[in-house]
Amino acid sequence: MLFSSITFLFLFLPVVMAVYYMVPGRAKNIVLLIASLFFYAWGEPVYVVLMILSILFNYFCGRDIQENAEDSRKAKLSLVFAVTVNVLILGFFKYYGFILDTVNSILPTDIPYRELPLPVGISFYTFQAISYLVDIYRKKAQPQKNILYFALYISMFPQLIAGPIVRYEDIEAQLKNRKISIRRLGQGAVFFIIGLAKKVIIANTAGSVFDQIAGVPASSLSMLTAWLGAFSYAFQIYFDFSGYSDMALGLGKMFGFEFKKNFDYPYISESITEFWRRWHISLSTWFREYVYIPLGGNRCSVSRNIFNLMVVWTLTGMWHGAAWNFIAWGVYYGVILVMEKYMWGASLDRLPGAVRHIYTIILVLIGWVFFFSPSLGYALRYLVSMVGGGAGIIDSKGTFLLFTHWLLYLLAVLGSSALGLRLVNAVPRMIRNEKAKAAAAVIIYMGIFVISVAFLVTDTFNPFLYFRF
Amino acid sequence: MRTGRFTIARVMKYIVLLLTIAFVAALMMYTSGSSRPFEEVEKAVSSSLDKSNLTLQDGSAFKREFGLSEADYAGVMYYASEFNISAEEVLVVLVKDESQIQEVTEAIEKQAEARKNDFDGYAPEEVKLLEDAKQSVRGRYIFFAAAPKAEEYLEAFSNSL
Repeated sequence: MLFSSITFLFLFLPVVMAVYYMVPGRAKNIVLLIASLFFYAWGEPVYVVLMILSILFNYFCGRDIQENAEDSRKAKLSLVFAVTVNVLILGFFKYYGFILDTVNSILPTDIPYRELPLPVGISFYTFQAISYLVDIYRKKAQPQKNILYFALYISMFPQLIAGPIVRYEDIEAQLKNRKISIRRLGQGAVFFIIGLAKKVIIANTAGSVFDQIAGVPASSLSMLTAWLGAFSYAFQIYFDFSGYSDMALGLGKMFGFEFKKNFDYPYISESITEFWRRWHISLSTWFREYVYIPLGGNRCSVSRNIFNLMVVWTLTGMWHGAAWNFIAWGVYYGVILVMEKYMWGASLDRLPGAVRHIYTIILVLIGWVFFFSPSLGYALRYLVSMVGGGAGIIDSKGTFLLFTHWLLYLLAVLGSSALGLRLVNAVPRMIRNEKAKAAAAVIIYMGIFVISVAFLVTDTFNPFLYFRF
Repeated sequence: MRTGRFTIARVMKYIVLLLTIAFVAALMMYTSGSSRPFEEVEKAVSSSLDKSNLTLQDGSAFKREFGLSEADYAGVMYYASEFNISAEEVLVVLVKDESQIQEVTEAIEKQAEARKNDFDGYAPEEVKLLEDAKQSVRGRYIFFAAAPKAEEYLEAFSNSL
């Protein structure tokens, strides 16, 4: 079930909210857990069993690590075992087909294999489980005694299928005690509506433009069309994923939880280093805490630090999918980050802000080409078209798409910075009377909600990119 | 909670791990798709069919019956009876990606329902065939059979993956 679906908006969410607010304090977690399992089973009736097994396994592993806490060697062995099993399960579902395909393409073999669809959200909930185990090992958190609370941590529907990846130490206290208030409910609703609008108005429209361009062979694209395609995809993936994250944050607030923000206007960045501080923050934080720092981080020699960075970014690429283009995308960012750190970072800082911004946007767009391409060959052909080596500089398709979608691009540019939200809130901010201010805000956000629903009802194009990760 | 070297948590984590392995094995056996080429699956299923009342149909028949275009999919094998009074048919579709599964299964259900309505009242044995039809989605492969030997055909399909 998608947040941006009529079933979720007008059936699932109202029913769950009503029951959640009616039941007494202790029962709220149970309501939320049942709702989360139902939410997952709606689209993945078989894989809900896998998730329950993962919950049980990690619950007992957490307790086992704690029970061995006095003997550091045993505790470490217990942690390594638990993390290895989690990684193997994730790796099996995500990579075994890719590995066999690679073997078949390299060697003169034709090994057939059984295909299993990727369980939705497995990359997210596995990383959450690992964070739980490591936090216990590091004594940053206590193992959860109540298995229902732990199950809720792993399966909570607002962030189950597309994050943000919530670290256990950040949410441990909230599982027991959290504040629920009308004010927070309202704040959550605002976050949710903003996220919904980002997803269905901007991301879906940008996605339909991108699909039209991606349907043309890469070498037949003009320079204009190729850049439009790259921009459209950049807007689609940002508004799709950050919209979903906003909806998750909003839903969390509505249920009394506070999740950390996952995006902070990444397209205003003036370096790739800054971009990755603003893009998918929960994933970057996870890799920093549980991979980069344990490897030695930056408190080591330059060569070791470069190695650590490359490991982290190769893994980041692999996390996104079992394909060479994702690995190339991760390595690409690893190399740029190393370069910014050790080669041109200081020089970059001395350039005017506008130049730094253009530098970042160009590199990010090139990165997205690797990301959306079905193969490395396609990515290279697409990049050649972006420098005019395809079907010339301008063609009728590019100009047509530009002139018919200029409003979309304008909205997307505004929405990529804080300016977009400031414009939305400009009218309420001008009103001095508190009641009138609140009424204006309600009217504006209800209007945005109605427009979003209208888009949902009339538009059949409603994919969600981060499902497949 | 400790019982010598083995605590409940330690024992339980191994038990749950074994259950997980068993579950994944069951998934592989009963729900997985296959990387086998469509031609191999088509050949295996086709050779298992009783063709006395089944004829291989072309893309236009597939379009007419299900409203779907053969070119949109990685592979289509459609056998149906030449006689309008028979509901017998066998269909195997390999979709290009998983997002197409729903449209195919919905088209199959819609077509089966329409045919049931057509036969209702004058050909109860054909309605029974459609009610007892076998359908299976295995990865990107979709199988449907309305035939007296539908169970056998389904088995041949599963074995071919």
